[in-house]
Amino acid sequence: MTHTELLDQFILEARECLEQIGNRLLEVEKRPTDGELLNDLFRLVHTLKGNCGLFEFKPLERVVHAGEDLLDRVRNGTLHYTPAMADALLDAMDFTAQMVDEIESTGAIDPVADARSTSIASALRAQLTAVAAPVEAAPEPVVSAPLTAAQWEAPAWGHRVPEALLRAHPDAMLWRYVPEPECFFKGEDPWLVARQVPGLVHLDVRPTAPWPERDSFDCYACNLDLVGLSTSPAAYLQEHFRYVPEQVELVQTPATWPATGDAQTPAATSPATPIHATTATDDAEATSTAPQGSPAEQLVHARVLAIWREQLVQLAKPGIPAGSVQGIRLTFRGLLAILEHPAAQDSLSALPAQVSAAALLGWAQQHAPEAGDTPPEIDDGALVTSAGGGNGGFAAASGGGEGGRRGEEGAHQKVLKVSQDKIDRLMDLIGEMVVAKNALPYLAQRAETVFAQRELAREIKAQYAVINRIAEDMQHAIMQVRMLPVGTIFQRFGRLVRDISKKLGKDVQLVIEGEDTEADKNIIESLADPMIHIIRNSLDHGIEMPEVRQRMGKPAQGTIRVAARQESDRVIIEITDDGAGINPQRVRAKAIERGLIPEDKGQTLTDAEAVQLIFLPGFSTADTISDLSGRGVGMDVVRNAVERINGQVRLSSEFGKGTVLTLSLPLSMAVTNVMIIEAGHRRFGVPMDMIVETVRVHADDIHHFKQARTTVLRGRIVPLRPLHELLALSEQPTVNDDGEHAVLVVRMGHENVGLMVDQFHGASDIILKPLEGVLAGLTGFAGTALMGDGSVLMILNPKELM
Amino acid sequence: MAIRYLKKHAALEDIVTVEDAEALQKWLNEQAKPAVNLSKCRHMHAAVLQVLLALKPALVGEVSDPWLHAALCSPQA
Repeated sequence: MTHTELLDQFILEARECLEQIGNRLLEVEKRPTDGELLNDLFRLVHTLKGNCGLFEFKPLERVVHAGEDLLDRVRNGTLHYTPAMADALLDAMDFTAQMVDEIESTGAIDPVADARSTSIASALRAQLTAVAAPVEAAPEPVVSAPLTAAQWEAPAWGHRVPEALLRAHPDAMLWRYVPEPECFFKGEDPWLVARQVPGLVHLDVRPTAPWPERDSFDCYACNLDLVGLSTSPAAYLQEHFRYVPEQVELVQTPATWPATGDAQTPAATSPATPIHATTATDDAEATSTAPQGSPAEQLVHARVLAIWREQLVQLAKPGIPAGSVQGIRLTFRGLLAILEHPAAQDSLSALPAQVSAAALLGWAQQHAPEAGDTPPEIDDGALVTSAGGGNGGFAAASGGGEGGRRGEEGAHQKVLKVSQDKIDRLMDLIGEMVVAKNALPYLAQRAETVFAQRELAREIKAQYAVINRIAEDMQHAIMQVRMLPVGTIFQRFGRLVRDISKKLGKDVQLVIEGEDTEADKNIIESLADPMIHIIRNSLDHGIEMPEVRQRMGKPAQGTIRVAARQESDRVIIEITDDGAGINPQRVRAKAIERGLIPEDKGQTLTDAEAVQLIFLPGFSTADTISDLSGRGVGMDVVRNAVERINGQVRLSSEFGKGTVLTLSLPLSMAVTNVMIIEAGHRRFGVPMDMIVETVRVHADDIHHFKQARTTVLRGRIVPLRPLHELLALSEQPTVNDDGEHAVLVVRMGHENVGLMVDQFHGASDIILKPLEGVLAGLTGFAGTALMGDGSVLMILNPKELM
Repeated sequence: MAIRYLKKHAALEDIVTVEDAEALQKWLNEQAKPAVNLSKCRHMHAAVLQVLLALKPALVGEVSDPWLHAALCSPQA
């Protein structure tokens, strides 16, 4: 699954969520006290937020997060649902829908939306504070113009940063972060957040309220008040604290300080070169000539210039549609409004309504804004090259606004949602159909042998061919409906590995193979959680720190490989890491210590058996617990989850070298193509994909060596195993009239093995039903199938048999 | 390796997570002369930090992390 596919899925789900959110919002307005409805609404918004988090769509996430916070309060009863709130939420929803549309058409969010998203998010947060307790007052982070010490009013908590430091860092940001008491339960680590503030030069920690008595002290109620000084621009800090904006205060420190002892003469107007001259834009040229102003103004100006240039690039493209030209024109108008440039605005309005791209381009080049808003002379070449391409459709999307969006709505891919029951029923019916059609060849045979109707038999066979083809297509189609590529869940791992490895300070690459291997939807879905757990385990316990790895002679970067492939009727997923592996001694000791196995038994286990102990319920190496994989979800839960879907987990680990976990899962009710063979007057099926060839080997060509029999096929020695012997049948393999044995050559890993049988009986499609109840332990059989004549066929599992 | 509870002090090592806070608090409360060694601690969760700030155990050895040092050794804390 590619990124685009994931994005498509996100868009699909986001739309679905938004549609339901819209309905719920309206219902809630009618019944604002309905707890269930509010819960439902909250859950939807929460889902949407989670989805947004998968991508780097900051403006979207910000809005949805604010909405979630608001709804959380309403749900908890701390706030009353008001019409104003409904307006804000609906507004936010419209904005979100617009963003989603934009993401669909361009794959990205227009940076211009950032400002709108902030205003919508603060409108939502304003709702929070409007009625909520004053404790929760959420001052919007403000960026002010460069200050002098005289104008500067230190916040009440400003004294917590030594003045010498403030003097040493002019024009820096003072921040205060008071995490909410229950923040630990949201998985936040305020200390980590504070320490990682960009450009941190000072950090002061105090309790919000005095520390309570020993006995009443609750270590999980956050009582911290963090104040710090950072040299990074406000925008960076806002970005850093983006998940807790309402808990953070930012204050800009003076750009200039009077010389010590000379408090009343602020150094005139020589603002020091702002540290943040190059924020958020890669356009050095723009900032170097930008007007003196607050960093925010500079930023806006730089953005305007960049957008202006993007429009020029758009206009310069050949064959640009008239609609886009109009969109670009609107964009110019908006940009001029930001720059407050009435003269240019007038000349833009003077252009004819249906202006041509060339005319608009000429105008735009003439009126391009420059540093200080003076009429420009701009080098066209530099313009076009510095702007860089890649933002196709941007202008139309940002300028076209609502009207354009409504028009596109009809083009969305129609998706039909069908309940799983209906699909299951369809699948059962098709399964029956497959079995029923298999009765036709028997009928044809009977017509010929019993009723001596050769013609009729031939016609039945012809009809059978047609029905067979249709049935196969149907089967294929229905399987496709339920099949998903395993990549759908693998896709999440990239982010998981990146985030966790960063957190742990490890360097890990994730290699994914065979992500288009398909399996039933149910199986794929129930696989996500166990796999996330396995990967977390690998990251946390498996992969070592880079220094340790280098000392052990391994590359500093660890590798986690997730490979999926189909093997016969199963999907095999292998998760391999090249980390430390599992120490069998320690596992053994832990299991004995926890009383999971008796001591004498523990000592007799081989190393390979000992590592399997980690699957025991209750097993945990408590001293390695961490916030990543010590949440009480042990490997036994992983195994149970996999076994619930008829899967198996195998583990092999080499201490110091790494660990391999192999999940083997059924493909679901896959239709299997089998070859029917006969041995000792009984019929068996062998899955077709295991069969290499069928040959007849003369008895004289079989070499006996003690018990073993071999033969030579095309210059290679192939071991022969009589099926009769494997199944403990009393009969011996028979030979045909020419003294030849029937041999079915099957693939065993990398080797071929000949299975001696009595006779071949052609191929058949069957629906493999796994063995159940007491029979489930018979690993030699993969399952059973009902044949067209009503008989039951046992399907062999040659791998297990040998 | 998060916390090793030794005879005279608790050694906080590497990354100390939120789950360890409660156990550490309990252990410190039980000690006559609580002490912790933070010399091998690379990061501790805020919950653990506030346990240390609230219960003020004696520090054994250096605090290697500068921010942690500032937080725990400053007079106001």
